[in-house]
Amino acid sequence: MGKRLGTAILPVYTGFVVLYLFLPIVVMAVFGFNDIEGRFNFTWQGFTLEHWANLFSRYPALNQSLLNSLTVAVISTVVATTFGTLIGLALTRYEFRGRAPLNLLIFLPIATPEIVLGASLLALFVSIDWARDLTTITIAHIMFNISFVVVTVRARIAGFDRALEDAAMDLGADEWTTFRKVTLPLIFPGILAAAMLAFALSIDDFVITQFTAGQTITFPLWVYGASRIGVPPQVNVMGTLIFLIALVGIGLWILLQRRELSAAPTSLER
Amino acid sequence: MADWLRRHRGLVPYLFLVPGGLWLILFFVVPLITTASVALQEGSLGTGYRLTFNFDVFPDAITRWNVQLVRSLEYGLIVTALTMLIGYPMAYTIAFRGGRYKNILLLLVIMPFFTSFIIRTISWKFILADQGFVLGTLKDIGVLDQSFRLLATPAAVISGITYNFLPFVVLPLYVALERIDPRVVEAAADLYASRFQAFIRVTLPLSISGVFAASLLSFIPAVGDYLNAELLGSRNETMIGNVIQRLYLVNNDYPQASALSLILMIGILVSVFVYRRVLRGQELTV
Amino acid sequence: MTPHRTRTTFAILGLCLALILAACGIGPEDSAGPSPADPGDSGATDTAAPSESAVGGGEPEDELNFANWPLYIDQDDDGNSPTIQQFEESTGVDVTYTEAIEDNSSFFGTVQPALAAGQDTGYDIIVMTDWMIGNMARLGYLEPLDLARDVPNFLDNADQVYLERSYDPDNKYSVPWQSGITGIAYNPALVDEEITSMAQLLDPELIEKYCGQIGMFVEMRDSMSFAMLYNGVTPADATIEDAEAAQQVLLDQAPCVRDYYGNEYAQALADGSLAITMAWSGDVFQLQFDNPDLQFVVPEEGAILWTDNMAIPKGAQHPNAALAMMDYVYDPEVAAQVAEYVNYIAAVPGAKEIILQHAADAESDEDREYLETVANSPLVFPTQEMLDNLYSYKVLDEDEERQWNEMFQEVVQG
Repeated sequence: MGKRLGTAILPVYTGFVVLYLFLPIVVMAVFGFNDIEGRFNFTWQGFTLEHWANLFSRYPALNQSLLNSLTVAVISTVVATTFGTLIGLALTRYEFRGRAPLNLLIFLPIATPEIVLGASLLALFVSIDWARDLTTITIAHIMFNISFVVVTVRARIAGFDRALEDAAMDLGADEWTTFRKVTLPLIFPGILAAAMLAFALSIDDFVITQFTAGQTITFPLWVYGASRIGVPPQVNVMGTLIFLIALVGIGLWILLQRRELSAAPTSLER
Repeated sequence: MADWLRRHRGLVPYLFLVPGGLWLILFFVVPLITTASVALQEGSLGTGYRLTFNFDVFPDAITRWNVQLVRSLEYGLIVTALTMLIGYPMAYTIAFRGGRYKNILLLLVIMPFFTSFIIRTISWKFILADQGFVLGTLKDIGVLDQSFRLLATPAAVISGITYNFLPFVVLPLYVALERIDPRVVEAAADLYASRFQAFIRVTLPLSISGVFAASLLSFIPAVGDYLNAELLGSRNETMIGNVIQRLYLVNNDYPQASALSLILMIGILVSVFVYRRVLRGQELTV
Repeated sequence: MTPHRTRTTFAILGLCLALILAACGIGPEDSAGPSPADPGDSGATDTAAPSESAVGGGEPEDELNFANWPLYIDQDDDGNSPTIQQFEESTGVDVTYTEAIEDNSSFFGTVQPALAAGQDTGYDIIVMTDWMIGNMARLGYLEPLDLARDVPNFLDNADQVYLERSYDPDNKYSVPWQSGITGIAYNPALVDEEITSMAQLLDPELIEKYCGQIGMFVEMRDSMSFAMLYNGVTPADATIEDAEAAQQVLLDQAPCVRDYYGNEYAQALADGSLAITMAWSGDVFQLQFDNPDLQFVVPEEGAILWTDNMAIPKGAQHPNAALAMMDYVYDPEVAAQVAEYVNYIAAVPGAKEIILQHAADAESDEDREYLETVANSPLVFPTQEMLDNLYSYKVLDEDEERQWNEMFQEVVQG
């Protein structure tokens, strides 16, 4: 009996944490249906589907800002995850000089206040007369994402059992094939986790983006500015939509991955 | 290509390091050097800045803002403890009990953070409002005093930061826990260890690299955070991030802002240094 | 060497390297840093060089880049601005309207390096609050205007009070976009008396019973000016001693202040967290749709009238188009169109009549009611009595600004 309860505690606890994480999202979604009189969306006035109906027509600037944010997030995630994983691989599997300085280099961006990062990047761009736009935002996002990717991925790569690679090579696979078919799938959970983190960081970044954006508006920038006058419910709807799309999109992708991965050895499942 | 790589085996790690390393050097180190230079300058926008190697800016800044510096470290530690307490069981469950749903659960943890920070905070303000549906109800039935409030208190700020960094903790913990071979834990049970003992003596030590990474990823950004204190706190919860923000943007006091940033970074480095020594002897990967 | 020692050594080496590089390569002459590239350009005097000639006087260019605050221009249900569209049709100029400005200081922070380096910011019109206009003019970051030649509508139609503003005498660099009042808002459900005086916001004894439910602004000029008005000082004439006295008032009040707000006070006022707070007229106008009981007052000691202004940043590529836009929005019809949507204070008093006309011609009752509310609201068209009791911020020179900022930072951040 005690064992049954004990077994149940963890999943129940997880359920509560997920609920806690989702609570503000639910509130956000609900207020996307608020039939507001004026411009503020703080008190419930009534139910309407109007904001869902005119979601993309009402504020073209909002749409563009969302598109910008998604573009930057996707590109910076892909690039930073690649660069970061490479660094992670180098750090944990190879001998080379300059290990300690490299660790410091990886580490410092996380420790630096965003405002300083953003402002000094802006100063750099100005000094070389590089106009600020989507490109500079992406550059900045890749920069801060690399560190987070390395830190997240390393724990996974370090624990990787080299014997598996040796076995593959003993069976005639060359290094590249071994990497592709043995190493990569096994460290994949770490890479995926790092990518998710990088995406979330990028899509919600405000301060560094503010400095490196020039005339470009991203979603967080638009929302922050709109909050001066009153955040329109369309923002809530957008947030809910992003949420739903992410849910569907990556869910599909995981299903696809599962088919590929089902052949590779993974840790035993309970 | 593969042949060339095999022959120049020693070069491989450097090749791996070049893309990311170069990027960081160009877009982080160079701006950082600028920051260091600015910290030692004096002047103003109108009269221009001159590099006077004004090292006094550092002790002056620490003296002026020591309360906020200490408070930030305090909040950072509390947040790290809380996120670890909340996040570890979560990561454990996903890693060991997640089965087919591991990735979906991970996604559920991080998805709330794909939406806008402002909206999430507005929602939290709604939930925690003095007379909102949570506190208001509790006050109506007499459990809480009418003057009780959560917003504009340290509790609100710490809760806000904790909420925002929870995925930063769960993900690295998961990554470390997931690679633990469950058979090792089983072996402990076979040797008559209780589940609790097995956890303390087998699982936890094996996950220490994840604990280290997770605590860094929550402590460091938490100390420098400013948005939560700005939106959820009052003047008594001002953190060093808010100070730096204001010095830079409003006062246009770039030297002091830069100096404080460097102080913050060094403070963090020192803390991590100490922390690493405490965990010395364990297999850390950061 | 152990990894620990290596790391420490490197850290020290790195710092030395940084300093060496800084001394050699990145000095004050280098524009890689938040310093003006050309010391001769920056106005160390109170006003920028008067010998500069105004921009304009030519045909509008093909394009215009207009940066503004969000939701600060009229919008139809398709998300387009009728005003912008009509302007594009009548002049043939292609307008790129970006809502890039969230905050004066942060926007300034993002364009300042370019301005200091003499580069084009990418914008032809920016909208900044009066004090920031004053600062930017002082630093030489704005193009001078010839209003008589290029923006006659302003001189013909704007209210007299806007031709005599302290922070931009003779409107050399800017024309108003919208104005607003910083006053006191309160929630009668939580406050059982009528609020008529600054003392009811600032006097520690009087606010004791509302402790923790008082709101102030994080904007230094707003809060300091309020404290000065409470002390009986006209903000525009304040001396450093007046500023210190004002700081003391704020420090005494601080324990009962819930928070020093930017825009977020509106939510706190709406959900009952704040009983009495500093507030902006346009916000309260909006909040009153949801809660008609909320009150907005100009206290007897006075309140602040601030203005957001259109200006042309130095190096703008399309100044003629910018001036054409400025002139266009001072047509009373256009001003009315914007005011109907934005609900802040238009600079053109003639707009009121036009809005009432639109109300009379309105098709639906809902529209008519809404337009009448806008036209008759003292929050959108303040009475002369209100205007007489409204003050401007003091124009601060660099030293004063630094001192006031330091004093105020102690109030809001400790």
